[in-house]
Amino acid sequence: MATIANDFTINIATANGTGSQSANLILLQSLFEMGIPVSGKNMFPSNISGLPTWYIVRLSDLGYQAPGDRTHIQVLVNPATWDEDLESLETGSVVIWNSDAKKEMNREDVISYPVPMSSLARKINPKIAKLVTNIIYVGILAEILGIDQSALESALSKQFKGKEKAIGLNLTALGLGRDYFKENLSKEDPYVVEERQQDTAKFFIDGNEATALGCHFGGVQMLAWYPITPSSGIAEAIIEYVPQLRTNDEGESTCAIIQAEDELAAAGMVIGAGWAGGRGMTATSGPGISLMQEFIGLAYFAEVPSVFWDVNRVGPSTGLPTRTQQSDITMLYEGSHGDTQHIVLIPGTVEECFEFGWRAMDYSERFQTPVFGLSDLDLGMNRWACEGFTYPEQDMDRGKVVRDREVFEAFEDFGRYLDVDGDGIPYRTLPGSGMDPVLYRGTGHNTKGVYSEKPKDYVDLMARLKMKINGARELLPAPLLREEIECEVGIIYIGSMENTIQEIDDMLEATGLKVSQCRIRALPISNQVGEFIRRHETIIVLEINRDGQLWGILRKELPNDLVTKVHSVAYSDGQPPRARVYSDLIMAKLEEVKQ
Amino acid sequence: MSEVPTRPAKVIKLNMINEPKDSYTGGPSSLCPGCGHDQISNVIIAAAWENGIEPHRIAKMSGIGCSSKTPAYYLGQSHGFNTVHGRMPSVTTGAYAVNKDLLYLGVSGDGDSASIGIGQLIHAIRRNVDMVYILENNGVYGLTKGQYSATADIGSKKKKGTPNQTQPIDLCALAINLGCSFVARSFSGSKKQLNSLIKAAMSHKGFALIDIISPCVTFNNNDESLKSYGYVKDNNVTLHIADYIPNREPMKEVEVPEGHFRDITLHDGSVIRLETISEEHDPTNAVAALSALHAADTESKHVTGLLYFDGSKPSLIEDLDLVETALIDVPDSELRPSREILDKLNAAFLS
Repeated sequence: MATIANDFTINIATANGTGSQSANLILLQSLFEMGIPVSGKNMFPSNISGLPTWYIVRLSDLGYQAPGDRTHIQVLVNPATWDEDLESLETGSVVIWNSDAKKEMNREDVISYPVPMSSLARKINPKIAKLVTNIIYVGILAEILGIDQSALESALSKQFKGKEKAIGLNLTALGLGRDYFKENLSKEDPYVVEERQQDTAKFFIDGNEATALGCHFGGVQMLAWYPITPSSGIAEAIIEYVPQLRTNDEGESTCAIIQAEDELAAAGMVIGAGWAGGRGMTATSGPGISLMQEFIGLAYFAEVPSVFWDVNRVGPSTGLPTRTQQSDITMLYEGSHGDTQHIVLIPGTVEECFEFGWRAMDYSERFQTPVFGLSDLDLGMNRWACEGFTYPEQDMDRGKVVRDREVFEAFEDFGRYLDVDGDGIPYRTLPGSGMDPVLYRGTGHNTKGVYSEKPKDYVDLMARLKMKINGARELLPAPLLREEIECEVGIIYIGSMENTIQEIDDMLEATGLKVSQCRIRALPISNQVGEFIRRHETIIVLEINRDGQLWGILRKELPNDLVTKVHSVAYSDGQPPRARVYSDLIMAKLEEVKQ
Repeated sequence: MSEVPTRPAKVIKLNMINEPKDSYTGGPSSLCPGCGHDQISNVIIAAAWENGIEPHRIAKMSGIGCSSKTPAYYLGQSHGFNTVHGRMPSVTTGAYAVNKDLLYLGVSGDGDSASIGIGQLIHAIRRNVDMVYILENNGVYGLTKGQYSATADIGSKKKKGTPNQTQPIDLCALAINLGCSFVARSFSGSKKQLNSLIKAAMSHKGFALIDIISPCVTFNNNDESLKSYGYVKDNNVTLHIADYIPNREPMKEVEVPEGHFRDITLHDGSVIRLETISEEHDPTNAVAALSALHAADTESKHVTGLLYFDGSKPSLIEDLDLVETALIDVPDSELRPSREILDKLNAAFLS
């Protein structure tokens, strides 16, 4: 039988709260240790214990990181989803199933490996049998696929960090799994793993932790947050790293952490910190941003630096809290009532999560305005391969703050909202400095910050704010272009779609269609995006939502002659993007455009 | 020819840091003539001047409403932030976290504090944010023309419509129950008492709530209202006459009140002296304070003075375990971890 190496998808169906996440991460890490390009997706419910969870492990020598179109190996532990999971399998799939689960195996057309996982686990320790069951299936998989024992041991020691008892217990369970397969079953499937040499050393990290580290290297001085999935990981990682990165020998830190009473208060604290001259930030998700809208408008209008990270989940309303989506784009870009426009940074990799973490603070102080980081559940909560983080190449940009009386006196005329340099960015003094005392306000004001309802004051202020944000276009992270020569079709996309785009591209190319790619990394968009569009006949704007929010922004901002070129492919079902779904939609859209 | 009489030069009185009172004033008020809030603004000016606080070391914070407009009318040399409705406490909390060295003077109304922002008030008290929280309480939404607020008394009657039937929230009782470290009630017309309370609150380390009944001359000055000027003037039970002695050289001789008094030492070493009028109230006794509030309520009276005080509670800044220097004064080089630290992190991830 011909073998299939490093090119298949494993789907593990368990119940939430049974400890399967830890077993799945050991599996993922051990494959990673073998140098195999691998990605893991945790499909977990909004629940602490009992509801179904799936973990999808994709092995791909081509480096594809999306979950793949189909399951090749199904691990069945959870009786609750048993029938549905079984039914969805293609003929010839492998099923590793818990024969103690009192469920039937009614498919004749699959390769079946029954394993009494529960009784094996009970042999080790009846009290924690449920927990051990998970590591048993890792042992079975290791034996079937040929995972190195040394890779498993290394993964175990990383997971349990020196807890010898836990490592020992898991090793025993792994061995039981391996032995059971050797003694009772024989390999009938083609799937194997093969060790690979990687050019560069990499490690696994999730986007939330990478963002948190970036914020620390941006010198965040105050984090105010309210727990919400899937963003809590950012705040928790910031807190976790305070002792190591931000604390002196006396145990005193330079980063205040406040768990707020709600997202409104978190936003208020961020703005208070920014007003006082500090670097404040929060991390939240869509529902939190909804609550923060009023404050976002205040920060925009009163021009207060403030950083908001949004880890997007499925909306509207509470939506699907543990599923991924790119649907907060419009809400961030035009957040709050009245005419507003905000800077939004959109990382697509964990390296960018780190980089945009510190850059967000710089942009916010430079432009004296709210800056958003837009991540999503897929990027934020799943682990991705990372080559390491790069130290900021420039000093912290604290923006136009007058800290010195001599500098202050040198101004001919000083006004908090006076555009001295013609870039729309005024100078500010800080509370406590004794210079230019201003009562900041969300009401209309003149260049001195004094209340005004005069039409000219309002029009001038709104025009300057627009000019200020427009000035950011070419200073923000530029779009990443992968352009084919004389290519007719270009795809514009954002964020975590980065991890699926290459597979989509290859699928399109297999049909004879070569496309260029443009990943937008910040709003407002760079003029390079318009030039990219101009060089192509047809543009697809690809995003993970229903309405084509990014497409809407482009249509609003592009010159008229380019608008007709731009077409939307927007789809979201809560699942991490699968390449086949989107490549089919792109083909259909191109067909529609032709007609 | 008669001689033109020469007027003697005006003597400008200076406070302990040699500032004239003018350094503490603000712009002209746009509130209704006779508004209780303007009286409070004047007391704030006097209190800050008499306390000898450098004007630029004060941060004026407010929300939205008539009361929240007043920061424009006092302390013109201080930075301020007129934020959004009811959310001043959170903005103040964030500012305080990064710059603990300013005196945060929040002004709010009953719309802000008893309704839309009651959660933020509660949590600022819970955290013991080091700030003065002046509540200008008139039982009515003035700026939107006279709707009842959540502190309006049952039976209060606005110009049109039916009397208020919903029971009011007593924010002093709420604050005492929350463990607020300084709770006082006063009346915008009681200039002397108010002056002492505000000065004491400014010296207090922790959250100081002063609920000031401040009648609305336009929308809530009917005889039925327990917060009308006439009503409060006639039914005001003063629990204490408070006098305040700064810890530095006093500006003028303090009149030691006659009769029974007790001194309370504040965090900065200054002393607030209370004279008990009606009974010997122990302001460290929360139950006694609540009893006084309930007794006054039963008799449809307002009890004023320092109701509750606890100088031993750590303020938020102590809970945050921050470096000694205010965070905004920490140099950038100490905020951003070094290149070596990042190298070590990367190496640790790879190992």
